[in-house]
Amino acid sequence: MGWKDDEKVRAAVWEKSLARLQATALDAVLLGVTLLMVEFLVQAFSGRRGPTGLLLSAEQILDLLHYAWAAVGGLVLALLWNLFYRQVGSSLGRAWVRGVPEWEAPLEWTQTLRGWFTAVFIELTFFSGWLITELDLFTFLTKFGKAADIVRGLMHPSGAVLHEGLILLVQTIFLAFMATAFAIPIAFVLAFPSARNLTRNTLTARIAYTVARTFMNFVRAVEPLVWALIFISWVGIGPFAGVLALWVHSVAALTKLYSEQIESIDTGPMEAIAATGASALQVLRYGVVPQVIPPFLSFTIYRWDINVRMSTIIGFVGGGGIGYILKPRVDLGEWGEVGTLVLLIAGTVWLMDVISAKIRERIV
Amino acid sequence: MTVETAIRVENLGMVYPGGVRALEGVSLEVHAGEFLAVLGLSGSGKSTLLRCINRLIDPTEGRVWILGEEITGARGARLRGMRRQAAMIFQQFNLVKRHTVLTNVLSGALGRSPLLSSLLLSFPAEERQRAVAALDRVGLADRSTSRADALSGGQQQRVAIARALMQEPRLILADEPVASLDPALRHSVMRHIEALNRDEGMTVMCSLHDIDLVTRYATRMVALRDGRLVWEGVPAEFDKSTFKEIYGEDAQPASNTGF
Ligand SMILES: Nc1ncnc2c1ncn2[C@@H]1O[C@H](COP(=O)(O)OP(=O)(O)O)[C@@H](O)[C@H]1O
Ligand SMILES: [Mg+2]
Repeated sequence: MGWKDDEKVRAAVWEKSLARLQATALDAVLLGVTLLMVEFLVQAFSGRRGPTGLLLSAEQILDLLHYAWAAVGGLVLALLWNLFYRQVGSSLGRAWVRGVPEWEAPLEWTQTLRGWFTAVFIELTFFSGWLITELDLFTFLTKFGKAADIVRGLMHPSGAVLHEGLILLVQTIFLAFMATAFAIPIAFVLAFPSARNLTRNTLTARIAYTVARTFMNFVRAVEPLVWALIFISWVGIGPFAGVLALWVHSVAALTKLYSEQIESIDTGPMEAIAATGASALQVLRYGVVPQVIPPFLSFTIYRWDINVRMSTIIGFVGGGGIGYILKPRVDLGEWGEVGTLVLLIAGTVWLMDVISAKIRERIV
Repeated sequence: MTVETAIRVENLGMVYPGGVRALEGVSLEVHAGEFLAVLGLSGSGKSTLLRCINRLIDPTEGRVWILGEEITGARGARLRGMRRQAAMIFQQFNLVKRHTVLTNVLSGALGRSPLLSSLLLSFPAEERQRAVAALDRVGLADRSTSRADALSGGQQQRVAIARALMQEPRLILADEPVASLDPALRHSVMRHIEALNRDEGMTVMCSLHDIDLVTRYATRMVALRDGRLVWEGVPAEFDKSTFKEIYGEDAQPASNTGF
């Protein structure tokens, strides 16, 4: 009896200190960032000039902030707040980790330090963001002139590229189709080891899950544009490189969608099939596959749709399709021809959208 | 040995990963050929007990024997072979909704079917005949090509019974088979389970929470309360004080139960 209680007490103490540590760490980060934003705004409005005599740019200010001091300051403030939480109310970190304590629950946000801190934090983020991204309403409202040329061109599409555009549009649609088609079998196979609910039971399954997930997340993290550059230098400029780039990205994206679908199935039929003495593969075939096929189809069609859109961008860097002839027109400022191509793309995307929505409706 | 033991459960305990204790020290025997009802409030551990018996979940303590063979610790083909002996019927039917009624019944034969053709949903002619016969027994032969989810709840549960029949098991584990059905339809489903017990000689272990059904169909009953076995007897011995013992002091039997 005694040792068991001891162990429980120790576990509780350990849990409590861990929670404290988490709360303080969270607060330290938030307070540190707050200090940095305050310093940023002070510097920005101090009128300080750089060696060239101009006002400092946002990037220059970011460069000279005192990050180490902000870290130390944030940590000290976080420690103080978590030490005196009874007097000043729970910090954000504490409220996040341990929940809002009972006696604070009825308070409005304006009655707590935490509430005010949150409000100030959001304001600071907004103002710093305004400066860091160099928002400039004046320019936005007064310098429309140049862009008007483009808009005028887009509104007066020229027929000169219509023929070539239509041909490349066909290429674009097939490019997207091939990328999707090749992605389906691989994603289908990868989706099962990537589903948490199928991979809990054995060590092998857990390893398969980790490997599949890591691989998929890595592939998905790399933008299709980057894949396009890789494959262009591999197989050369043209639609094939575009297919490969979209294919790799689609495998990862479809695997994720498929596996999430598998994770959300009704486990009842699986159990019923397992209870008949069926083997693991039979359980997958009868208990899982019928439930996921319709959503898989619908995701796949949606993916084809996305791939048509993406292939335009891929074409820009040399991955074939309609984007490929769009780029030189943009560079030369042939806005009428750009207008034609943009209209073609928009029309196709709209059509794909409508068709895929209709098909998806039918399947589910 | 006079009475053959179909299921033996010894000191069974189950603690779920979250730390919930669902069963503690449950020991019981199910005799061959009997219809054993398992009673208890919801949450008392009835489903957990039934699922531990065919190892849909792994008990954390204790041992289970099916037809004299220990299923706890069994793996792979041996476990599957033992599962084939014990068909399960679920409260939620658990049919494959998008498959036809016939394919659902055929899936009861998966345990003895060749892997490759079964993955293509293809079964030998004699299995198909058996499936049609099983459907006929539950009165649904004319619905064999319907999609399973086109059927009513009572019909779906009868398909599930046909699937169990198809499995040619020696035991039936039924987990509140009629709890999600309209009261008027309960007997139509229970009668089919009774027929499996009486005509096919299958041993039935069935959780129920309607006392009426228990006294009508069971030959013996056990009761769980908070994961422990608290009562064991025959329907004739069941009375008001037993009721209180199982369901607690505050519980009231429904007015039509007769006591
Ligand atoms: N998968 C699960 N995870 C955690 N706890 C569970 C799970 N299934 C059941 N329990 C808990 O185990 C106890 C017994 O549940 P169950 O066997 O379903 O009882 P019954 O079938 O008699 O209603 C309940 O407290 C329930 O909440
Ligand atoms: Mg239950």
